[in-house]
Parts: sequence; structure tokens; C-alpha cells
Amino acid sequence: MKDNMFENTLDIYAHSNNLKDMNAYFKVLFAIVTMLISLISTSPVIPFIIAFFMSFLILFKAKIPWKFYLKFLAVPFSFALLTFVFMAIFFGVGTHVLELGIFNLAVTADGFNLGLLVFARIMGGFTCLAFLALTTPMTELFSILEIFKIPKIVLEIAMLMYRYIFVFLDEALNMYHAQETRLGYSSLKKSFKSLGMLGSNLFIIAWIKGEQAYTAMESRCYNGSIKTLKEPESLRNIGSLNLTLLVLFEVILSIGIYFTGNFRIF
Amino acid sequence: MKVIKTDNITYRYPDGTKALNNVNFSATNGKIVMLMGPNGAGKSTLFLHFNGILRPTSGSLEIDGTPVSYERKDLVKLRQKVGIVFQNPDDQLFAPTVREDVAFGPSNIDLPEEEVKSRVKEALKRVDMEGFEERPPHYLSGGQKKRVAIAGILAMCPKIMVLDEPTSGLDPKGAFQIMRLLCKLNREGITIIIATHDVDIVPIYAHEVYVISEGEILKKGTPKEVFEDKELIRKANLRLPHIAHLFERLQDEDQISFGKSYPLTISEAKKRIVEKTRDNKKFN
Repeated sequence: MKDNMFENTLDIYAHSNNLKDMNAYFKVLFAIVTMLISLISTSPVIPFIIAFFMSFLILFKAKIPWKFYLKFLAVPFSFALLTFVFMAIFFGVGTHVLELGIFNLAVTADGFNLGLLVFARIMGGFTCLAFLALTTPMTELFSILEIFKIPKIVLEIAMLMYRYIFVFLDEALNMYHAQETRLGYSSLKKSFKSLGMLGSNLFIIAWIKGEQAYTAMESRCYNGSIKTLKEPESLRNIGSLNLTLLVLFEVILSIGIYFTGNFRIF
Repeated sequence: MKVIKTDNITYRYPDGTKALNNVNFSATNGKIVMLMGPNGAGKSTLFLHFNGILRPTSGSLEIDGTPVSYERKDLVKLRQKVGIVFQNPDDQLFAPTVREDVAFGPSNIDLPEEEVKSRVKEALKRVDMEGFEERPPHYLSGGQKKRVAIAGILAMCPKIMVLDEPTSGLDPKGAFQIMRLLCKLNREGITIIIATHDVDIVPIYAHEVYVISEGEILKKGTPKEVFEDKELIRKANLRLPHIAHLFERLQDEDQISFGKSYPLTISEAKKRIVEKTRDNKKFN
């Protein structure tokens, strides 16, 4: 891999993790079904278990470096935490479990429970998506999306976007370095100005690149639609062992939901 | 037989500036033809005429013996026959994987799926990029991207392959591999047309050479004929190959002559030097 500038991107991990060669269809089903279970759970227990289990898979099976994973998780985690705090304080009526002492604010029992549930669901759902994003290359996801009958036009746009994000990034980075070389970011005021120029220039470059790409496509008889090759049948073939494990895992989680459904901390 | 023949092509940009002025260019079947000119001379503009992307303001062109028709279905046929490899492979490689990119051309001419797949396999094999099928283009090196771009054209089985600056931006090894590949394809029967300002590669690979400057063809001929006219070459913002320049200086500054015309390639120069030193030894 030559371009080290993409070293710390999600994409490089998706292409080089330890679970890369596992059947993509299996990974997608696993992630989506588990996420749904996390969402229908009425107690925070199962979503938390899912979050831990998925994190375990990501860190120890796919062997994603924990530093990168924690950074990746930081944004949704802070968002979820904020939601939790606000819900605990402002939602719900009933017994106060904790007086804050200012503005007569207090944490209520059902507010706290609801907040915790939402927090758990966010983390459970997000780790499922993280598992998918970190272990499955985009290129394979496109073929899965095709199996799921996503409209062709959406898929085409997604494919072009995926490819050209990297060209765009490359261009932006080069321009940024060129500006930095000439001290474009040496003060706050200059930074604003430079960033503005970078943005407007990128827009123009994107336009030109788009035109050039179109000419190149036209040269290869482009007629308005990109025909993709049909994926080999093996893609749908998850394998009976994997399928059994998947069903078993989801059933256990569902039973878990049934038994922990009424679990409340307060 | 001429596979490409342009007859006094003139092309004006929409704003009126002339990009090409009465260009007469032709390419012989099965040859490597190089179009040599500085930046902005109109090389790329001329190339875009060969597959009907641009339409000449005046003049006409014949591809493979038939005048170009701009009907939709004729254009599809024309573009199969004439494949263009663009200068920047990032403009050309648009698909998320190598395989899908190479498959783009053949799928567009409505070949059956099996045929497309076998063509993709074959094309990647010919450019020596087997095993990269599932890779996204952004994780390939410059030379690899270029070869995938060539495979994308090869998969359409063209008769003529047109390449815009195929060696620009590549390291010496990558550039050499591309040129070797193009020679191989040429031996297999594809007419190769190359735009370049890398004058050192011209005498090594070209059978026919055109010099273009400011939208006009200044000279045509074999590499030897073209480089003989030093003034013209320099007027076109080009230069002699380094090796010829060395022999020019030896002659002009040190009065050491190795024959009337300067050798253009290393092997030719070597031959002349060896001959001359042998002659000298005889006299000593």
C-alpha cells in the first residue's frame, strides 16, 4: 500500500482487518439483526451485552487497534452520554432519586431509566454498525446492497462517491500542505482566509475533475447507467455452521430480552 | 493502410480561440505513432477527436477507412475501435474496485456477462495486474493505476489505442514497464498513438513522429528525420534527446564528429563510439 496518507482511515482497516475474508453477507446479517435486537430491547441489559460483545469481536477477532477504536467510539459515546444526562434530568416525573441543588433540578427514577435505556441502545446499535464498518470493505457492501434491492441509481451515486472521496481527500490535502508551506495557517485570521480559499478552490477542482471523469467514461461508451457484474452465488452462501451460530446467538439474545425486560436500576 | 486520417481539422473552443489549425495527421496500421509537443500544444484536443468526443469545427476525419459519423450507435462502435487512455488515471478509474472498472467498457457494449468476465480476466492478465481485482484504485501505485486504466481500454478490444502522456508522473521503472507493455500490445497488432513531451523515449519506440505546436503540425517523419531539424524542434519548445545533445556539443565545441547525423538512442551512440575508436586504433 503506497498511499500512507490514508493510513488511519476507516477504509484501510476495513480492507486489512482479520475478519475481512469472512462472508460479507453473513457479517451484514449479523450486524443488522443484532442491532434490531438491541433496539427492541426494553431494558438496558441486553444492549450493553451486545456493545461489549461487539467491541470484543472488533478488538480481539478483527484485531482493530484499541486506540483507533476508542477514537472511533468517542463521538457517539459523548453524544449518548449527553442524551442520558439530559433525559435523566428533564424527562419523567415521580420520585426524585437525586437532588442537584440548583434550579430545583433533580434526577427522577423513570427519567434515569429511560435515559439509561436510550444510552444502552445507542451504544449497542452503534457498536453493531462499527463492527460492520470496520470489518467489511465498502466494495463488498455495494454487492450486498444490490442483493437487498437498493435502487440502482442510489448505488451508482454511492459507488462514485466512495471512489472520489479519496481523490478529493488527496487533492484537499495537497492544497492544504501547499498553503501551510506558505504560512497560510500562521494566525487565526489567516487560517480563516486560507480555509475559505481552500474550500472554493476545491469546489472548482471537483467540478473540473467531474467533467474529466465524464469524458473518460464517455470514451468507454457510457450511456447513463453503470452496469455492475453479478456477484458469484458464493456470496449468498453463508454456510450452515455460520447460519446455525447466527440464529442461535440471536435467539439467545431474544430470550435474554424476555427475561431482563423488566429490569430497572431504580 | 492508414487507420486514422484527419483532413485539415480545425477546432475552435466555444470562446473562439483556435486549439487546432488545419491539422493533417495520419497513423499507419500496426505502428507506434508519437505526437510530440509542449504543454498546451493541442495534443489532448486532437486525441478527443479520434473517438468523437469533440467534433471538428471544420475539416473531416476518417477512422479505419470510414468517415466518422456522430450518430449515437456509430459512436459506440467508434469508441470500441479507438480506446483513449487519459493522462491522469484518477480521472479514468471511477469504480470502487479494479474489476468493476475494467468491466465498465465491455458491459456498456452489451456483451453477455460471461464474455465480460473473461475479457476482464484477459485484460488484467495482459497488463500483468492479476490478483488486484478486488482492490480499490486508491490503494494502487501510479504505475499500477495506469496499467489498470490500460486494461479498462484493452477489455473493449480496440484496434487503436490512444494514450495521453502515458509515462508522466511515473518513476523510471514504472515508465519503463508501461512502455514495454505498449510495445507488447503493438506487436500483438494494436496501433498505438502516444502524445508525449518526453523526447528521450521518442526515438526508442516511435515508428512515426509528428511535431505539434500551438495547434499546428510542424513536421512529420521518422524520428531521425524529425530530430534532424534542430531549429524546428527547439522552436516548438522541445529539445533533442540528451544523447543527441551530447554529440551535438562534441561536434560543435570540440570538433569531434561521429558521423553526419547525431545518434538518438544509447545503443546507436554506443555503436558509433565503438566504430570510431576501432578506426582510430587501426591508425595508431
